[in-house]
Amino acid sequence: MELKLASHSSYPRIGDSPEGQLLRRTIAQREKGEKTDADLRAAQDRMTELAIAEQEAAGIDVVTDGLIRWYDPASHLAGKLTGIHINGLLRFFDTNFYFRQPIVEGKIERTGPMVIDEFVFARGKASRTVKAVLTGPYTLARLSLAKDGGTQLDSLVEQYAKAVAGEVGALADAGATLIQVDEPAILKHPEEFALLESGVRALATQKKSAKLMMAFYFGDVAPLYARLQALPVDALCLDFTYSPGLAGVVAKEGSSKSLALGLIDGRNTRLENADETARQIEQLLPAIKADNAYLTSSCGLEYLPRDRAQLKLKHLKTVKDTFLGLGKGA
Amino acid sequence: MSREKLRQLGIDLPVLPTTSVGSFPKPDYLMKARSEFAKGKITHEELEQSEKRATEFWIRKQEELDVDVLVDGEMYRGDMVAYFSEHIKGFEQGGLVRSYGNRYYHKPIIASEVHWEHPITVSWWKYAQSLTKRPVKGMLTGPYTVMDWSFNEAYPDRKAACFALAGEIRKEVQALVEAGAKIIQIDEPATSVRPEELPVAIEAMRRVTEGFQAYFITHICYGAFEFIYPQMLQFTVDNFDLEMSNSGLDMLELFKKDKYTKDISFGAVDVHTHVIEEEPVVEQRVRDALAVIPKENVWVDPDCGLKTRSVDEAIEKMKVTVQAAKALRG
Repeated sequence: MELKLASHSSYPRIGDSPEGQLLRRTIAQREKGEKTDADLRAAQDRMTELAIAEQEAAGIDVVTDGLIRWYDPASHLAGKLTGIHINGLLRFFDTNFYFRQPIVEGKIERTGPMVIDEFVFARGKASRTVKAVLTGPYTLARLSLAKDGGTQLDSLVEQYAKAVAGEVGALADAGATLIQVDEPAILKHPEEFALLESGVRALATQKKSAKLMMAFYFGDVAPLYARLQALPVDALCLDFTYSPGLAGVVAKEGSSKSLALGLIDGRNTRLENADETARQIEQLLPAIKADNAYLTSSCGLEYLPRDRAQLKLKHLKTVKDTFLGLGKGA
Repeated sequence: MSREKLRQLGIDLPVLPTTSVGSFPKPDYLMKARSEFAKGKITHEELEQSEKRATEFWIRKQEELDVDVLVDGEMYRGDMVAYFSEHIKGFEQGGLVRSYGNRYYHKPIIASEVHWEHPITVSWWKYAQSLTKRPVKGMLTGPYTVMDWSFNEAYPDRKAACFALAGEIRKEVQALVEAGAKIIQIDEPATSVRPEELPVAIEAMRRVTEGFQAYFITHICYGAFEFIYPQMLQFTVDNFDLEMSNSGLDMLELFKKDKYTKDISFGAVDVHTHVIEEEPVVEQRVRDALAVIPKENVWVDPDCGLKTRSVDEAIEKMKVTVQAAKALRG
């Protein structure tokens, strides 16, 4: 069993240094007509490059592009599909972050790539494995509004699933070996699990040789854990911070899939006690019947200031080292 | 009956009293002064002169518009949580965190035990009250919201942080009461974000308000009220100041199902649009409220703070609010 360190998904796109302000400055200048689209892309490229460099410097084995180009997890993807226009801001779950709501007014179709270019760019800048990240069909449907309320949720899930599955397939073709699909919304509506499952099945048919990882956060995973184990995917990425009972459930029920253990809180700056977290890992790892597991944050790190996000990444390594030291000390 | 409580406090208000939620836009000269102060070009005293000038402007303007219960307009604040975090010991200013799009804010960190060391808002309240014979509300941010909008490194969990803040914010309430404030508004906009934590917010409010001779208001907005009503009526306040117009008055449906038992500051104009509502539109909204809540219990105000509007828009929105209330006083 190998324990790898993984970035979850997003990473801060701003920092206190002048270079850390590059993207914010460029967007503001672009809005005033002082910069071009090419300037904006160059700034996004640079911030992506920096995000990857910081992850690698912290010793992370599986990095992401930090979702630096995403306005938010809903509109960045839905805005690239037909049949949708992007509307005003709504709160993103229980965070102080706001997303632009997709309004579905026609048939949802994927007519081109959604994040392939971003993945290919990141892979070109990284020396480690790059994980591609997508928002799942159930969560996209839940965050969307059907115009005039005419389209039912199950139809939205089905249409989004087809589109996202197309992207999963294209990412696999582009060489992605690990694709994470985020489905936080199901933790708020566990009674709709069948809808989530139908979406996941559609994605799984297109993953080819890539590993598919489903991510669940901002809620208690424990009540759904057994059903998540039955999903046709390779790995589950789980938020342990909302769920005091989850570690016990995983240790007891085991996992036939690889798990990404979101033990490091991505929403709070406090660094976890390394010894306690290492002990949790010690309790959890024997339950995982897979070749590897990941230590990660509970959610993307964009909810933290950049300096604190960096500390959290480094803390992943500290916790892993502490864990590795536990056996030696015994 | 809360009106009786107001009389006991020596405050006699007309039927359908008018007020505003708290913030008004900062005039250009104050924005310039704040920017120059941030760059070290002017002294704190010079900044304060501009803040006082702007406070006086808004007090005079509210009197001119014939508003019944005034606010100081919060000319001295940047953000409703950051302001208190800057004045309560134990906080550190955190780095930038993205709110949406290209908007970022400094999210405070509770780095050590919180301590109220001196009055925070009292001198501003006294100054504003010295300018008018009409009652001026004391304006605070509640412990649940300060906790939710901060990182917590000092307390074991969110509840402990919230209750610690409640103990300190209570001292500010005491200072306001001792200074002569009779109406105190304690804003808790974060209340509805995690409905499962509503009991924590309610208990925190009890700790802040219990035993004081004052009329308490709390402002809650952007909420999934369907998850916290009618339980939220347990808040130990006399008046809920609620955003009604932005959500098509749909809370009134909840009030029809479960009787609303407090006074309400009924948000009758939408603060998120540049459009100034016509008086008949605002009147109709208030009429809709009066069909559900006794006239005796209804105050009229805008949905939320007006600081995101221009000075002219804010004045026009207040004007139509007062006109509509007066037209319905009969």
